[in-house]
Amino acid sequence: MLCLRSIAATAFALVASVATLQAFDSTKYPDLSGQWLGVRLPVGGQPAFDPTKAWGRAQQAPLTPEYQKVLEASLEDQKNGGQGNWHPGDSCLPPGMPAMMTLFQPMEVIVLPETTYIRIDHTHESLRRIYTDGRDWPKEPIEPTFVGYSIGKWIDEDGDGKFDVLEVETRHLKGPRPLDPAGMPTHVDNQSIVKERIFYSKTDPKILQNEITLIDNAFTRPWTVLKSYRRHPEKYSEWQENVCASENVLVKIGKETYFKGADGNLMPTRKGQPGPDFKYFQQVSK
Amino acid sequence: MNYQKSIGAIALAALLWATVGTVQAFDEAKYPDWKGQWRRGDAGGPRYDPSKPLNAQQAPLTEEYKAIYAASIADQNAGGQGNDPTYTCVPPGMPRIMSIYDPLEIVITPSTTHMFMQHIHDSRRIFTDDRPWPTDFEPTFAGYSIGKWIDTDGDGRYDVLEVETRDLKGPRAYDGLGLPLHRDDKTIIKERLYTDKANPNIIINEITTIDSALTRPWTATKKYRRVATNDKAVWPESVCAEGNQHVEIAGQNYFLGADGLLMPTRKNQSPPDLKHFK
Repeated sequence: MLCLRSIAATAFALVASVATLQAFDSTKYPDLSGQWLGVRLPVGGQPAFDPTKAWGRAQQAPLTPEYQKVLEASLEDQKNGGQGNWHPGDSCLPPGMPAMMTLFQPMEVIVLPETTYIRIDHTHESLRRIYTDGRDWPKEPIEPTFVGYSIGKWIDEDGDGKFDVLEVETRHLKGPRPLDPAGMPTHVDNQSIVKERIFYSKTDPKILQNEITLIDNAFTRPWTVLKSYRRHPEKYSEWQENVCASENVLVKIGKETYFKGADGNLMPTRKGQPGPDFKYFQQVSK
Repeated sequence: MNYQKSIGAIALAALLWATVGTVQAFDEAKYPDWKGQWRRGDAGGPRYDPSKPLNAQQAPLTEEYKAIYAASIADQNAGGQGNDPTYTCVPPGMPRIMSIYDPLEIVITPSTTHMFMQHIHDSRRIFTDDRPWPTDFEPTFAGYSIGKWIDTDGDGRYDVLEVETRDLKGPRAYDGLGLPLHRDDKTIIKERLYTDKANPNIIINEITTIDSALTRPWTATKKYRRVATNDKAVWPESVCAEGNQHVEIAGQNYFLGADGLLMPTRKNQSPPDLKHFK
């Protein structure tokens, strides 16, 4: 009897000991490994914030009248060959939050107990650190960034001992951060707050979903959308580098955007566009 | 007796659970503690061989590439950018990445060791899942890296990460002076990363570059110093395109003035050719 009790005690002590050594029980978290691609619905146009509607005006974004005008001006400029309000185009600026979660390029998610990392190489190498270590918002002023400062919390919704939802709030953003290639604007005050719930679809467990709510002063109310991501089927997915600077054929000079032709020389992006002003050069251009 | 059997069974089940749990879970304790924020550990500015000054690296360049290097320095002395491609926000690529221009975070998972550095697209994935070299990989500035964790002292914990990097694209230079790598981009880089035995806050990287512009493999030893734990680290965002005033047009470097208009970068420089405008 004593012998058996000793075995039991030893076994449970071992369990406790092993559990202590295992700093990270990955089985408690959903498997988010692999390469994730944005699910595109046949709605037309380029990928937009609400994936169920076409880009531009068809998004039916709850914009304030002031920011509806900003969108209209962007669309008008794009109609004339410009880039409008979409800065990743000619300026190689990162899309930032929340546009980056549209997944213009593949996403990798790395889950560790203290931090969930989201890496998306689009225009810029954008890396989100979602802190899940129980920290509070920084008390000291922090430098705003395009990806913002994100605090997350893993939730076991169904009580089965495993986490199934990652709730995230993102603040401290900088701009400009348009929401889509049409130039759907966010407010210039950059006071956006982005809330996310990331979870596997209950109807299709292969689909990862992200319910995003954007709270921003360019909108009359919080704007909530549901994005879906699918895992790339290949075992060893290829991660391509997306380096805007080495691939970009657009160059912005003054307020005008030009093409760089095959010979490297400047070309107009619209009919009748004048060449750049060379007032700082002593010689007259050819 | 049945009660005793039950205790025994529970004990056995507990042992089995522990075993299964060990197999399924990621045992961080097997890997070195490289958490936190790391910066360049060698004094002076970024360069390939930290044991020598930037302008006296004594790289074993071929004669052809010595001439390219000399031309780069001469161009920089005349106001140009020489052979350094990063001025228009082209990534430094490997091996220059590992001179660490911005803070480094190393995230270890069983399948991949991630090296996160902002700067200009400097982050790396080092695959440690025993995969073979790809047969159709599109070359990148960071290259394709396969690594292997090694327990050199047999204590049950990994202490060395050996890495080989191939499939690189260019243009790449070793440093800001434009010390060149070969245009054929057949570079192979081998690394051995391990914790300094005398200081757990120092990582040593023995890095060897094999490149057609060199007469022999070139080895340097770099140090990285832990400057903050994860809970204290502040990670700045580095967006090269933001505020970059350099523009390359038809092989010439120009400067964007405060009003966004082109300016020359050298005396008597001609403006770009506008032959495509009527």
